[in-house]
Amino acid sequence: MSPTTYDAIVVGSGISGGWAAKELTEHGLRTIVLEAGRPIDPSVDYVEHVRPYELRYRGMRDRKRTERYQPIQRHTGACDEWSSKFFVNDLDNPYSFPENKPFYWIRGRQVGGRSIMWGRCVYRWSDLDFEANAREGFGVDWPLRYKDLAPWWSHVERFVGIQGRRENLPHLPDGEFQTPWPLNAAEQKAREVLLTKFGGERLITNARLAVLTEDHDGRQKCHLCGHCSRGCITLSYFSSINSTLPAARKTGRLTLRPFSVVHSVIYDPVKRRATGVRVIDANTRQMFDVNAKVVFLCASAMESTRILLNSSTSEFPDGLGNSSGELGHNLMDHIMGGGATATLPWAKDRRDLGNRPDALYVPRFRNVKSKHPGFLRGYGFEGRADRAGWNRGAQMPGFGAAFKKSLIGDLGPWRMTLDGFGEMLPRHENYIELDPHLVDAWGIPALRVNCAYSDNEKAMQDDMVVSATEMFEAMGATDIRTFKDDNPPGLVIHETGTARMGRDPKTSVLNAHNQMWDVPNVFVTDGACMPSTANQNPSITYMALTARAVDYAHQLLNRREL
Amino acid sequence: MPAMRRREVVQFLGAALALSFVPRDVDAAIKFGEELHLQLGDVPFRTLNRDQRLLVTAIAEMIIPETDTLGATSAKVPEFIDLIVTDWMSDDERAAFLVGLSDIDARSATLGSPHFVDLPPEKKVELLSALDRARAEKAGAGHAFARIKGLTVYGYFTSKRVEQEILKVRMFFNGYQGNVPFTPAV
Repeated sequence: MSPTTYDAIVVGSGISGGWAAKELTEHGLRTIVLEAGRPIDPSVDYVEHVRPYELRYRGMRDRKRTERYQPIQRHTGACDEWSSKFFVNDLDNPYSFPENKPFYWIRGRQVGGRSIMWGRCVYRWSDLDFEANAREGFGVDWPLRYKDLAPWWSHVERFVGIQGRRENLPHLPDGEFQTPWPLNAAEQKAREVLLTKFGGERLITNARLAVLTEDHDGRQKCHLCGHCSRGCITLSYFSSINSTLPAARKTGRLTLRPFSVVHSVIYDPVKRRATGVRVIDANTRQMFDVNAKVVFLCASAMESTRILLNSSTSEFPDGLGNSSGELGHNLMDHIMGGGATATLPWAKDRRDLGNRPDALYVPRFRNVKSKHPGFLRGYGFEGRADRAGWNRGAQMPGFGAAFKKSLIGDLGPWRMTLDGFGEMLPRHENYIELDPHLVDAWGIPALRVNCAYSDNEKAMQDDMVVSATEMFEAMGATDIRTFKDDNPPGLVIHETGTARMGRDPKTSVLNAHNQMWDVPNVFVTDGACMPSTANQNPSITYMALTARAVDYAHQLLNRREL
Repeated sequence: MPAMRRREVVQFLGAALALSFVPRDVDAAIKFGEELHLQLGDVPFRTLNRDQRLLVTAIAEMIIPETDTLGATSAKVPEFIDLIVTDWMSDDERAAFLVGLSDIDARSATLGSPHFVDLPPEKKVELLSALDRARAEKAGAGHAFARIKGLTVYGYFTSKRVEQEILKVRMFFNGYQGNVPFTPAV
């Protein structure tokens, strides 16, 4: 075998790519992971314990630098003075959108991808989600159901290490959980009140997180410093750097090549198979090929589809494997930015100790047991209750010695936030294409994104405000402040779709195993594969789908069917 | 003299004694030296001139005064504010802030002094109380005070000394405790 020929190629080293690498190598396949960005050295790059006074702007960001070089990335909170280095330079990585349809594409190009900065919230789906497209006539039916994916969720959850509280909710199935951190005193009281006032329909539960509360597989339990998006030197949250890539490396069958920008998939029209990928070295700009029996595209939803769109042939003039015409279409994100904050009337003599990265979750309650007249699908709330401490000072009246003493010696009231995250419907008219006039720093055609929220999502966001207010009123909360942000899609950083799975090659790009209908040795297992997006955070589902797809590909390879 | 020691000022002035406009008495020379030093860029203030610096420092110290613990000046809040005004604010924001500082002095004039820093203590409190109620203003004195207040609180509590000496910030916890008894120390 020549140095550039492998059993498997994985494009991307983030959440999905890390899992593909782990599973492929553990199945005995010599695998190369091609990562467009730089390597990460946790001892240098992880900065979760750097204090504000060690930074020039004390954490207020290098505003002018981000405005110049990261005009898109700066819109996400994690692109701060600590972690902006984990987000792309927008000048090197351009894309376009119509003036009236902004889309914020938040990206990380480095070994580990966005798994370094991800939100770490992990929720299973149920058949309420898998059956929704077929039931309501949107998009195409999922080619699998909960029972097909449940063992793979278990498989990945056991490796990832997830804290969660078992609630026995049919529409939000429990997983393989470590004991969660407790709700704090204010949240626990809120849970009890909502259970009484809403009869269990609206529930505050512990956030289900890929953050360890117990030592796990060589990784230490979380020490609650509270800044996961800056890295974690104790490997306490799941990322591909912390978990899957080391596991793959342990097999001795992993080759990891950073600075490898994949240009396209190479297609052999005679064998009707991919022979490998064409790569541009990010530093030297030299182009070279890497060959393998099977290719896993895990570059993130829009990047993987971009590679396929840029791999057109005479047989597939509109993008490799696009006989359905659906490649690039049905782009989704979630919708967020609807909800409220309020002051809770209890637990004034209680505080917490420890900085949780995430706290509580209110599972979906709309369109679960009864139909809502205003919109299809549903949303959940992420949230927390905190006492602001000195952070309340700028908004607090007063000055002088008493003001100072209050900021130091008191913590302020418990404020709770409920921030909705809702499902976006799959729509053909939300799509990406190659921009004929724009290339990135490596000369690869850039994307043009055409995407907007529909009235369904906007009605859902309106309802987030209403239902959050109802819950706070039920709690007897005061100073209820609602919010409804006009965020463009993309900013939730849950972009999915554009190479959907399905049951019919005429209407979908991938089959039930993430395998391209048209090019059977190419698998797409990141967010691109999703026919719908439910309202839950998606990453754990990408992980499960990836592990399942690798198992299937391995079976095909053993049967010499690839 | 926070930025230079007296002896260093005199030494610094030694090189400039040939200049005809150098003051000859020591106090005037020290003041001149400070200003000259400022112009040479060897101190942290780059946007706020002497009067603006004195004004911002006086207000920041009134917001978080030196008590049994350090105050805003000792925590170098004025230097932090100058950094943000210089490097972080947009041109428009900086201009609005500086206009707002002038407006504070203009308001001071109605209370008896063209400079806030020269008002008697009770008048300073009176004006600052009025500005505190006007923090929502989009421009002018209330706006400038709101910026100073926000940056004072942030700059003070994110400073190394306050984190370590007063807040005693912990970064590591052996598990999360969500129900710990608490009594305010106020």
